[in-house]
Amino acid sequence: MLNQKKLIVSHAPFCHDGSSISVRSYHMMIAALPAVLFGFFQYGINAVGVVALSISFAIIWELAINKVTKRSISIGDGNTALIGLLFAMLLPATSPWWLVITGTFVAVVIGKHIFGGIGGNPFNPVLIGLAILMVSWKDFFDFDQALLNYDLGFAMVYPLAAVKHLGTPGIEAFSTGGLLLGQQSGGIGATFGLGLILGGIYLIVRGFIRWEISISFLAGIFITALLFNLNNPTLHAGPLFHLFTGYTLIGAFFLASEDSSSPVNFIPMLIYGAGAGIMTVLVRNLGSYVDGVVFAILLMNLINPIVDKIRPKALGKVV
Amino acid sequence: MTPQKELKLAYSLTIILLVVGVISYAAAPAKTPDEPVRMMFKVVAGNVLFDHKTHTVETGYGLACIDCHHHRAEDEEEEPFLACGYCHQIPKEGEALPQSCVECHEPDEIEDTEMIKRADAFHSQCEECHKDAGIGPVKDEERCAWCHFMM
Ligand code: HEC
Ligand code: HEC
Ligand code: HEC
Ligand code: HEC
Ligand code: HEC
Repeated sequence: MLNQKKLIVSHAPFCHDGSSISVRSYHMMIAALPAVLFGFFQYGINAVGVVALSISFAIIWELAINKVTKRSISIGDGNTALIGLLFAMLLPATSPWWLVITGTFVAVVIGKHIFGGIGGNPFNPVLIGLAILMVSWKDFFDFDQALLNYDLGFAMVYPLAAVKHLGTPGIEAFSTGGLLLGQQSGGIGATFGLGLILGGIYLIVRGFIRWEISISFLAGIFITALLFNLNNPTLHAGPLFHLFTGYTLIGAFFLASEDSSSPVNFIPMLIYGAGAGIMTVLVRNLGSYVDGVVFAILLMNLINPIVDKIRPKALGKVV
Repeated sequence: MTPQKELKLAYSLTIILLVVGVISYAAAPAKTPDEPVRMMFKVVAGNVLFDHKTHTVETGYGLACIDCHHHRAEDEEEEPFLACGYCHQIPKEGEALPQSCVECHEPDEIEDTEMIKRADAFHSQCEECHKDAGIGPVKDEERCAWCHFMM
């Protein structure tokens, strides 16, 4: 039999850190916990509902697709639960139930399984889900509109919207310390900077994410924002503001570092991270969207395969 | 963890979180408070975000309700605060004044009142106060974008 399958080679990534997928997934969820709990504290039961529904439906969709495609049940590896959690962290606490259910469907089924499941997805599934929803139901992702009825005791205008429309005079009410401590409106698990940084450091130290990507992403944002700010300080916010607002920190530690959509070689990782950072600030300062993290990372996902070709030549190789 | 245990964990997680999620959505408090916190007016010229609460509370700008909700009996606590558009609307074909007036007035007592439409009511009330107090950008061309967030 010629067509007998003897050896099946799976997709990238091949990079192995010695632990199983489930260990990685659950550690990432634990690392995200401070930021999520802070979201519960700020937005109460609405936030709990969004997160709980999002994780459970992500798993349900994965289970459904396992059954439909007659594959082995893969929900045990925790990857889909992680997708559900990260997706919920980006949403406003007032997201209606159908938005959560649709979003997790797009993330898990279209973002992940259409491309062959874990390890095969060229794009970050969470961001696919979010991007498609953002384009379809823009108003639900306008944090100013979504969070109209919350009064949490600090300036509740979405910082990135304020600076986009009013320039730096519009963001005088925000201090760097306040932003780090989560005194800003935004996604359920995306505003508590300190918590996200602690989670990120934990993941880097334990080797679950690559520091090269996170750090180059943040550096790309810092430098680009600084250049814009120096060029026109009344129109463009400073670098620290961009680091601690919007989806920057959750993007750096939890989204850009998703393994099958990011490079594995050193230089490519730096290019990938920095490219996403630069794009983020370009969208924020010049584009029509208020935040650019989602589209910037997706764009870099797209060119990731080309970037990852940049690697040291094998010794003695001809061509 | 063995694969069996992992699977069990995932199933329990799903069921527990599904229950928690459904209960939370069912128990979540009604969305609109009695007194608005912030409101978003949707306009083609760009949405306007109006911080109602900050305009009224003492720690904010400390304005009296009647400064804006101008057309109401001063002493009546019970009377609800009406939306501006309830009175400031274009009257129906053939009528001089909006239908809402006759809920409180005899038609003949208000005959010659000049009514301005909703958007004009907003512009003139908001801006009269701001300009008197010297609030907002000085240049006229920057003023529109101060309130209207262009998308
Ligand atoms: C700076 C002006 C301003 C002040 C001061 C103000 N309001 Fe309002 N209020 C508004 C505007 C504008 C609306 C929106 C009306 C609309 O939607 O057409 C509104 C709407 C409301 C509504 C909802 C009405 C509805 O049916 O949609 C209530 C209730 C209300 N205000 C209560 C109060 C109370 C109580 C105070 C005093 C503590 C107060 N307001 C002070 C401007 C003001
Ligand atoms: C219950 C009906 C009613 C409501 C509600 C109402 N108005 Fe009026 N408004 C009137 C009437 C009647 C007039 C014209 C007679 C007058 O000057 O009192 C008027 C006049 C005005 C004027 C012109 C005043 C002037 O001095 O020329 C402005 C500005 C205005 N309203 C703004 C608002 C705003 C803003 C709101 C909402 C916060 C509002 N109105 C709510 C009935 C109402
Ligand atoms: C919610 C009830 C209510 C509605 C609706 C209402 N009014 Fe009035 N109006 C009042 C009250 C109460 C007064 C008396 C105010 C006062 O004594 O200060 C009044 C007074 C007036 C006056 C006399 C103003 C003055 O300064 O003497 C005019 C004119 C008037 N209303 C016109 C209108 C018109 C036009 C409309 C429809 C657009 C309208 N009203 C809708 C309650 C209402
Ligand atoms: C009676 C006076 C008054 C009226 C009427 C009023 N405002 Fe204001 N507004 C203020 C004051 C006072 C400030 C504070 C400015 C400061 O301290 O910098 C302010 C600030 C603002 C600001 C900038 C700061 C912020 O809170 O976001 C906006 C936007 C604004 N008002 C919108 C509106 C709109 C929209 C309306 C009409 C629906 C309105 N205002 C009606 C007094 C008023
Ligand atoms: C103080 C805040 C404020 C400023 C400044 C302001 N607007 Fe508005 N504008 C509003 C509000 C509030 C509305 C009413 C929204 C509604 O009807 O729901 C509005 C409505 C409008 C509308 C819709 C009118 C309609 O008939 O539906 C247009 C167009 C508009 N504004 C243009 C402008 C332009 C042009 C400027 C600059 C000269 C300007 N606005 C400045 C607050 C403001």
